[in-house]
Amino acid sequence: MAERLAIEELLHTEHLPHLWCPGCGIGTVTAAFLRAILDLGLKREETVVVGGIGCSSRAVGYLDVGTVHAIHGRALAFATGIKMARPDFTVVVITGDGDGAAIGGNHLIHACRRNIDVTCILFNNSVYGMTGGQLSPTMEVGRRASTAPYGQVEPAFDLCALARAAGATFVARGTAAEVRTLQKLIKQGIEHHGFSFIEAIVPCPTEYGRRNPPADPVQMLKLDKARSVSVAEAAKLTASELGGKLVTGVLDQDTSKPEFQAAYAALVARMRASGPEDGGAPPAGEGRR
Amino acid sequence: MERWHYHALQEAIDSSTMLVQGNRACALGALDAGVRFFAGYPITPSSEIMETMAYELPRVGGVFVQMEDEIASICACIGAALTGTLAMTATSGPGFSLMQEAIGYAIMVEAPVVIVDVMRAGPSTGRPTAPAQGDVMQARWGTHGDHPAVVLAASNVADMYRLTMAAVRFAQRFRTPVTLLADEVVGHMRESFSTELIGRYRLTSGDFDFTPGYLHPELVREVHPPHVLGSPTHPHVTGLIHDETGFPTNDPQKSEQFLRELHDKVGNHRDELCLYDVKNEGRGRVCIVAYGSCARSARAALKLAEQEGLPVEVLHLYTLFPLPVEIIQTVARRVEFMLIPELNLGQYAREVRKMAENWTTVISMGKVDGTLITPREIVDRVAELIGKYESV
Repeated sequence: MAERLAIEELLHTEHLPHLWCPGCGIGTVTAAFLRAILDLGLKREETVVVGGIGCSSRAVGYLDVGTVHAIHGRALAFATGIKMARPDFTVVVITGDGDGAAIGGNHLIHACRRNIDVTCILFNNSVYGMTGGQLSPTMEVGRRASTAPYGQVEPAFDLCALARAAGATFVARGTAAEVRTLQKLIKQGIEHHGFSFIEAIVPCPTEYGRRNPPADPVQMLKLDKARSVSVAEAAKLTASELGGKLVTGVLDQDTSKPEFQAAYAALVARMRASGPEDGGAPPAGEGRR
Repeated sequence: MERWHYHALQEAIDSSTMLVQGNRACALGALDAGVRFFAGYPITPSSEIMETMAYELPRVGGVFVQMEDEIASICACIGAALTGTLAMTATSGPGFSLMQEAIGYAIMVEAPVVIVDVMRAGPSTGRPTAPAQGDVMQARWGTHGDHPAVVLAASNVADMYRLTMAAVRFAQRFRTPVTLLADEVVGHMRESFSTELIGRYRLTSGDFDFTPGYLHPELVREVHPPHVLGSPTHPHVTGLIHDETGFPTNDPQKSEQFLRELHDKVGNHRDELCLYDVKNEGRGRVCIVAYGSCARSARAALKLAEQEGLPVEVLHLYTLFPLPVEIIQTVARRVEFMLIPELNLGQYAREVRKMAENWTTVISMGKVDGTLITPREIVDRVAELIGKYESV
């Protein structure tokens, strides 16, 4: 009961009910995120959540912390500015598979590469829900969408593999079917000092399910649960046995790589300590008459 | 004294004058105005602004980030601005186009950001090292929807310094993005830059005495209460049409009120925002209306015209938008011709025509060959106009 009350304190309840469809997984994962905030005891004024455009990004409109509802695909770029200007903030990005992996894909790989201390929770439902069920870059071959009426022909992104390859130092995956696990993963991601990428697999019965049965939300969740294997279990399986499975849990964590903001702060400290003659190539356009 | 710690200004003090590049003067003006965040992406002919910021910002405890593209650059600046940090980016035409969506967002959420566009010949890749003024209407109407715009234009190295400061001030006070237009020649040319020049703009004008942070003490009345991330109100910031609480609204009355207020906070303050300079005031039959590098040619043309007995005055505009309606119409009432030399095919001449055609004949003098308009060309055109008039 105490937790329930506390969660409500993190919500703008005056703006409820939310806009998500019945059976959507976004609310479930948002609740897991809020519980992670409570577990960590984060201060509201020092917590900033940035969303882009799309169903999942709209979560920022309900959260009673500092929130920025940015433009499509650019949430991570906004978050980079916020984190660099205010390193004391906990900055979390809520994005979707269209927002984060299609239009915002470039910002995603560069945020990973910089290893900036931002946590990115990417809600993956393989579809553009808000605009009517168009295919996203995580839709698997053969699946149908309003813009893939005969089935998707392009291969899907494995976003965790992408994040890992691009340099993210914390990579995890969870599903809306296992929300307590997801809560722990998000908590670990926020605690990690570096770029944390958490893929949350969520069902979209309205736009995905109706074209790719089952459309029943409970059945969709059960299917996601059935195809999930933990990192430990996955280690015992062959590549072919892993086909079609979702490996869940912490896929990768590396605490040895320097975090971007900290590295920049060290540079600033070095330059402030040094005299004007010290170091650096002279800037362009300089010369004496 | 901290303001004098910039590396380049130290040198200026030591040597009293130095040869400074326009782009570099822009960066120094930004630093002097309190800009402590810069995110950018390389593009000719603006890159020296970014290079100077990369060199100076770590020395004053500011943030410099080279982003993955111009979209990310402006978005990072807006993010920083939302925390109360003065932020700036610099680019050229193609990069400015990429920024347009986010500039609309900054207008919508009232985030003070300065964007410097050092214009090059376009469209598209065009001629990256040739001067042009083809982005005038992009600066006004580049982003979608009905929106206000504050656009300044620099004509020399001193302008690059002081108008960057003015841009920061306007962005702070009006809580809106401000665009400073320069062109390749203004960005790349080197002129003597003296400590007296710096001092004149820095020290004698209270206007330019900035306090770090963008909460300008004299915020204009129409501006909504600022949404600063990290404040105890932990605000919501959205590009959706929103009301005074910051949350989205679909209420028609509130929507209209919000958009009109966004416009009014700029439009009602033209007195303050419109910077200009009239030379040979009231003594011309022809007024040359010019901005940017063309204004330098116009000023030189004035001297030539005087030698040749041609009655000319010059209206040098430092603010292109909001439109300086009052001064344009005042001058239009007393001259026979307004001649607008510009490095495009008449983008601003059309604006002047709209304001002035009831009183005077507006002549566009556009050039898009990637070279400057010379004083001689302007004077020849003036002589032609007056000659035609005499022969009628």
